[in-house]
Amino acid sequence: MSILPSFPMPAPGSPRPRILHLVDDTTPGGVMRMLEFLATDPALARQAGHMIMPVPRGRVGRLSLQADLVVSHLSVNWRALPRLIALRARHPGLKIVHVEHSYTEGFTALNVPSRARFHTLLRTAYALFDRVVAVSEGQGTWLRDRGLVPGARLTVIRSVVDLTRFAALPGPQGRPRVLGAFGRLDRQKGFDTMITAFRTLPDPGAELHIFGEGSERAALEALAAEDLRVTFHGHVEDPVAAMAGVDAVLMPSRWEAYGIAALEARVAGRPLIATGIDGLRDHAGGAEVRFVPPGAVAALREAIEALGPTGLGPEARRKLAVGAVAETREGWAALIASLELRPVG
Amino acid sequence: MSRTAPAASGPTASIVVPCYNARATLAETLDSLTRQSLADLEIIVVDDGATDDSVEIAGAMAARDPRIRLVRQANRGLAGARNSGIHAARGRYIGFCDADDLWAPGKLAAHVAHLEADPLVGLSFSGSVLMDASGRLLRRSQQPRLSGISAAHVFKRNPVGNGSAAVMRRAALEALAWRPAQERERDWIFDETFRQSEDIECWLRLALTTDWQIEGIPGLLTRYRITPGGLSAATGRQYASWQRMVEKLTPLDPAFFARHLPAARAYQLRYLARRAVSDQQGPESRRLMRSALATSLRPLAEEPLKTLTTGAAALLIDHPLGQRLHRAATRPA
Repeated sequence: MSILPSFPMPAPGSPRPRILHLVDDTTPGGVMRMLEFLATDPALARQAGHMIMPVPRGRVGRLSLQADLVVSHLSVNWRALPRLIALRARHPGLKIVHVEHSYTEGFTALNVPSRARFHTLLRTAYALFDRVVAVSEGQGTWLRDRGLVPGARLTVIRSVVDLTRFAALPGPQGRPRVLGAFGRLDRQKGFDTMITAFRTLPDPGAELHIFGEGSERAALEALAAEDLRVTFHGHVEDPVAAMAGVDAVLMPSRWEAYGIAALEARVAGRPLIATGIDGLRDHAGGAEVRFVPPGAVAALREAIEALGPTGLGPEARRKLAVGAVAETREGWAALIASLELRPVG
Repeated sequence: MSRTAPAASGPTASIVVPCYNARATLAETLDSLTRQSLADLEIIVVDDGATDDSVEIAGAMAARDPRIRLVRQANRGLAGARNSGIHAARGRYIGFCDADDLWAPGKLAAHVAHLEADPLVGLSFSGSVLMDASGRLLRRSQQPRLSGISAAHVFKRNPVGNGSAAVMRRAALEALAWRPAQERERDWIFDETFRQSEDIECWLRLALTTDWQIEGIPGLLTRYRITPGGLSAATGRQYASWQRMVEKLTPLDPAFFARHLPAARAYQLRYLARRAVSDQQGPESRRLMRSALATSLRPLAEEPLKTLTTGAAALLIDHPLGQRLHRAATRPA
């Protein structure tokens, strides 16, 4: 009884390929949770052994890896480029795939004064890899249209996490008044815009709960200072429990490679207001998702005021969760199969 | 007239012509567009609730040239008319020409060649020659910087210049689209809550929220009409709408605005001072120039000649000699 009939599996008795996932940023967040899915998914484990290997940034160029496939979740920048070149040079015969978790069009717009120089960096770095994985269609379109990755070497595989408990949460009741926001307290997440917009809402019964930690905390707390409806919870160990306490989710990010929290919100039956940028566009659905431009206080406020009980129903939630997991699983399985790895034993 | 586009797919380019009571100039504008050397185009005239007979003029021309289409809407302003035109457009490239401006015959072809040659460019523009109300060319032009344009440059100098200079890639427009909560019909690209500064708001948003490049090509390919009178009355409103644009976009990147706002404000005040000079408003132009220099000396450092000329013109415009100099400097070519 195979759950994965659509791609080749190792013959019984033959060794499974060993896949090493290199990661240099192990702070809790989307990347680590996605890696946890890849390493623990039983269906993927039948095809290959997935192992996570945290590496300090400085050591990337000095590794001697024993694996059939290496997947880089490493940061790409000018300082890291010599290390990535060394990694490639030390393993000439090894297949190396890179997953781009950070860079997007929105990132480039707000952080890169010299776009030509940045494009050169990305083209140079991505040329070191056999394949580059985009984590959303939005990001993939950008990588392809800007000529950063040749179409033939680009694969789009959206990230996923275990969604079972989100799918099992009771749906919110009535018009949403308790709003939640999940993510690092960083300029990227646009929580400053959200707090500014929320503060203009007259409804004394509205609440805004912010789950996450980061360098902007003091500034954001100052921005929310006199509004007792805003609560900072810091980092939460269990995002499902946090989700259970909110009626709707806001994702006002300035850039976002995919935005797994958007998927979690929809699977949890919560209506979502997100910026219509980068990978967040991948979450376009029906009435449960509303897009606003980044940094647009008035538009965000109007969208919050227009929030209705539009979260997905139980059946749609279950289908979304199952479909998202299946899509990611098949994406990785197909990518691994297409690389024709020949385990040496 | 050649029609090369198969019915199923759109033409190479669409040109959106927002039109509000433009009976005096519309026919000439449309003539300049139908005579483009790149003939695979459609011209979308958006009647923004006109009360004159410009609709009949557009209708008669559409009957002779099937590439012209008429879209009608209740008055929503220039931004709304452009949004309706974009919604109706089927071309891969979308250009804008106001109903009182003119395009040089090779303008569309030059921008399409530019956009096809460089896939990173989302907005292609060119310089403009200015003309007076009767269509006489003036000895004045807009010759902005063409390359290396950053968001800061857009904010300070708006190199695109006017509403009839740009041709854009469809994907770049789509990246700017959103649907306001109260809108039922179509997306917004230009912000319809602005009745002025809608261009610069849109270009700056393009620079700050996408990584499409804004780049110019050589040549003065637009004839941009300056209509005298009522300018000084509009100066206050224009400055207020520019200020509102700043307030709207600041949350997007507060650090960017903190850094560049003084210089951009000084350039904006200098621009308004030049308009006040054109309208012979001496005290107003001097007040604006003083404010500009008090805000930031960057225009003086970066563009000393233009800044000093504007300052001198503001000082002299009330004197007969100054008026003669101004007439000489701005006389028809």
